[in-house]
Amino acid sequence: MKKHDELIATLLGDAQASQELERWLDTDEGRHELAAYRQALGELTRLYGEDRIGRPRRPVYYCSLPTPIGRVLVGATDAGLVRVSFRQSEPSFVAELRERLGADPVRSAAKTADIVRQLRAYFAGERRAFDVRLDLSRLTPFHRRVLMAAAEVPAGQVVSYGEIARRIGQPHGSRAVGQALGRNPVPIVIPCHRVVAAGGRLGGYTGGLGIKRKLLRLEGARVAAG
Amino acid sequence: MGAVSLAELAERYRPEILAYLVRLMGNEPDAQDACQDAFLRAQGALDRLRPDSNLRAWLYRIATNSALGAARRRARRTARTVDVDLDGLPAGAGSSPEDREQLRRVARAVQALPPKQRAALMLRRFHGLGYADIAASLGGNEAAARANVYQAVKRLRAALEERRG
Repeated sequence: MKKHDELIATLLGDAQASQELERWLDTDEGRHELAAYRQALGELTRLYGEDRIGRPRRPVYYCSLPTPIGRVLVGATDAGLVRVSFRQSEPSFVAELRERLGADPVRSAAKTADIVRQLRAYFAGERRAFDVRLDLSRLTPFHRRVLMAAAEVPAGQVVSYGEIARRIGQPHGSRAVGQALGRNPVPIVIPCHRVVAAGGRLGGYTGGLGIKRKLLRLEGARVAAG
Repeated sequence: MGAVSLAELAERYRPEILAYLVRLMGNEPDAQDACQDAFLRAQGALDRLRPDSNLRAWLYRIATNSALGAARRRARRTARTVDVDLDGLPAGAGSSPEDREQLRRVARAVQALPPKQRAALMLRRFHGLGYADIAASLGGNEAAARANVYQAVKRLRAALEERRG
């Protein structure tokens, strides 16, 4: 049992491993014990470690608005717009905000007034581009680069997945680009619908191709029927 | 010790004490209650605190007593133990159902530890307390504090291995 105490002391940072312990850790039994204790402490840390508790969860403000493509839901943190969603029920949207962002959803027309106003103007054909702060802090750098490249495509135009891949310096990455665009947390505002397959065919769209076509028509872009 | 007011104490230490109580009790509502209770008790005892005592260890001691007292009262009232509220713990949203089940196993193993061992483990692992401070918080001497932590680690490891096999 003394070996176990020594091993625990080492893992907890109470003591340095002695030579005797090092030798034991090099045996099958030692390796097995080390792995088992590491796993136990690792799981403990995974469950109780992060110091999030005791601090309030950050709020995420959300709202819904009727549009020509159905109800659109928006979510924004104090840092900026974090979600735009359609074809989703409000309870499911709220659950997603809570689980995926670890935030407390708060329905607030006031905190989402700016983006709601801009979306209304967009669907009324009175606005071609959005001017909002985005909170993309949870995304990977690659994902952000893809979205930023898509954000550069002006209304009324379309570009191919391959073109976006070239623009971010990954000419062979059009498949990864397509996947990243498919996980666009703020569609419409970042216009991933303006990225289409080669030859002007529509490609895919998480919200459904019908909506992709509607958005492009609204913007006056010419796309193939397919 | 007139120099510290309860408001100052609470502002400075409340977050870590609450985090400790969540770890100890396994869910946030109980921890919030115990935390409130602990700072009320601290207020009542503030003028008896000796100038040379370790304020932080003293607060952990009061918090531990509040948590254990609440657990005893609950045990008398109802025979059941409260299941762990995964969502109230930091890793709340385990990604897959299997992962959540594994986290639940860990949480149950932790809740099954004797309270003093559980407290000692959390203080050592997540609150940076040395064994002298753990002894000051939980009573007993340094050797007992260390033994409690090591025993907790052994039990946890055994519980997780048993269930895996």
